[in-house]
Amino acid sequence: MSGLNLKKIVKRYGAVEVVHGIDLEVKSQEFVVLVGPSGCGKSTTLRMIAGLEEISGGELTIGDRVVNDVAPKDRDVAMVFQNYALYPHLNVADNIAFGLKIRKASKEKIKESVAEVAEILGLTEYLDRRPADLSGGQRQRVAMGRAIVRHPEVFLFDEPLSNLDAKLRTQMRAEIKRLHKRLGVTSVYVTHDQVEAMTLADRIVVMRDGHIEQVGTPMELFNNPVNTFVAGFIGSPPMNQIAGVANDKGDKVVAFIDDVEITLPVLDELKGASKLDVIIGIRPEHVSIEPGEGLSAIPVSLDLIETLGSEALLHTSVAGKTFVLKVETRGEIEHLEKVNTIYVDPSMIKVFDAKTGNVFGLAQA
Amino acid sequence: MQTKIDQFIQHLRKEWQLYVLLAPTIIWFVVFLYKPMYGLQIAFKDYSIFRGVAGSPWVGFEHFHTLFGSDQFLRALRNTFMISALSLCFGFPIPIFLAIMFNEITNQVFKRTSQTIVYLPHFISTVIISGIVITAFSPSAGIVNSFLSWIGVDPIYFLIKPEWFRPIYIGSGIWQEAGFSSIVFLAAIAGVSPSLYESAVVDGASRWQMVWKITIPSILPTIIIMLIIRIGNLLEVGFELIILLYQPATFETADVINTFIYRQGLQGAQYDLAAAAGLFNAIVAFILVMTANTISRRFSRTSLW
Repeated sequence: MSGLNLKKIVKRYGAVEVVHGIDLEVKSQEFVVLVGPSGCGKSTTLRMIAGLEEISGGELTIGDRVVNDVAPKDRDVAMVFQNYALYPHLNVADNIAFGLKIRKASKEKIKESVAEVAEILGLTEYLDRRPADLSGGQRQRVAMGRAIVRHPEVFLFDEPLSNLDAKLRTQMRAEIKRLHKRLGVTSVYVTHDQVEAMTLADRIVVMRDGHIEQVGTPMELFNNPVNTFVAGFIGSPPMNQIAGVANDKGDKVVAFIDDVEITLPVLDELKGASKLDVIIGIRPEHVSIEPGEGLSAIPVSLDLIETLGSEALLHTSVAGKTFVLKVETRGEIEHLEKVNTIYVDPSMIKVFDAKTGNVFGLAQA
Repeated sequence: MQTKIDQFIQHLRKEWQLYVLLAPTIIWFVVFLYKPMYGLQIAFKDYSIFRGVAGSPWVGFEHFHTLFGSDQFLRALRNTFMISALSLCFGFPIPIFLAIMFNEITNQVFKRTSQTIVYLPHFISTVIISGIVITAFSPSAGIVNSFLSWIGVDPIYFLIKPEWFRPIYIGSGIWQEAGFSSIVFLAAIAGVSPSLYESAVVDGASRWQMVWKITIPSILPTIIIMLIIRIGNLLEVGFELIILLYQPATFETADVINTFIYRQGLQGAQYDLAAAAGLFNAIVAFILVMTANTISRRFSRTSLW
């Protein structure tokens, strides 16, 4: 399988530049997810890889070939579209076989390949049906079948699960992951759903406004976001971000949110800080409602409890600012209604520069 | 238990604004299409305007016997089918081709200009169209005969030769309506998801393959619906243009049921005979549209109802 290399890739529509010279290397057999809000350039980047959009600048390599000016059909990529792009007038077998027929494969080869793909995707009994007679999940599988039947070097997925309901999405997510393990094809997957990104990706690329904000494994992005944007985008619920003022008290650095004092982690960049405007980032999962050694206490007032079953989301406020924490319910929520103090391990707190949004202590992470 | 009438009245009270919007169409149908049906009975009566519709005596199928015993009616029937069938064969596919070609044009200026040029004849009155046709095919000053004489062919008296009537009528019909008729197919093409084409591009399809394998199959339901409507109107030959173009010398190929009805009913004052011919026309059209719809529903899953 081939890898992909994007070097200083730019996309312009007239005078408007929407992708600003991004660099990204996707290794062979790797599953990379491009994630970001609407309009961040992730789909445009994917379409440039597919050859559906011209590349305005930079160099795109698939394997060892520069493919900037290579027609989509000669790039040896297959794409799964958001709305499945199934031909309504063809049955499942003909939809899967479409690419092979266009490439004038022999009838025996087509029959064999379609049967093989249908078997992999559990579509054998639906081969004679038309897309209109299939459920959303089955249509999605047919779309995947169309892509894998050609044995391409690279799979491209453009928000393939966004038209499915939540339950089916979870199920199909697992199927895509299984399929990738089985076939080992280099894959680039676009989504705006960070849960999909976290569960599917070997590496996640977070994009914003045509720039790459951070590239890393799901856990790297979760634990060490480089800025407030990534911190807010990765994780559900997202990281709590509260503005405060940092001061070095000699033995420790603390941040004041109005009159609430929070002990910050030991970071070289915060040494000697005086009235430094910072944003304090605390993951909802990194908070306890019980005191413990080395944990600093923060007084809160409880607004709302959202019960999720084994866990609950506590919507509280710290010095008037919204703060969400995720705690275990242990089967009941009565004890949560009395929460008025939370406890945080300072080493789990992220501190961002209020001016730039960048995290402090990146070198130490 | 609430009856259906109660439910309707309740619905009427709640959604009266929608019924007000619907009313003009219903009134139009009643006044212009259903009320005149009362007069249809004169097809089975010896109608006299002095005795009126109700007072005229019944004559059963006498007018139908007269019609089918008349060479003129049988000629009109044959001509109607011939002109309709030829119009369908030549006139129906051209708007589809035009729509596909417009869709393939990427230069927007050229696309809009050519669309305007082919749409324009639709907005010209039939009288003007007939004037243009008469002038163009005139044996002395017409552009067609001028061209023929330029290449050394003797002038042809197109409009008095029966064998030329159908090509001229069908050709002018195509020229006038093909562009405008292509709009519905263009709209159908615009409804095809762009991702189908993008997916085909990634699969390696050429533009020609995309037209054959995506565009045409995708607009097939629209083509079928338009075909059913067209078949339903098979006997409704645009007789205004025929009346303006034909003359006794070309009756042999030009006289159709509607012009026959016009001559019998309005010029000959044989309203009962004309009503019988009109009723026959309507029944054949009804059977045609029912048949076309049933066949289409059975074989292509597409139908008007």
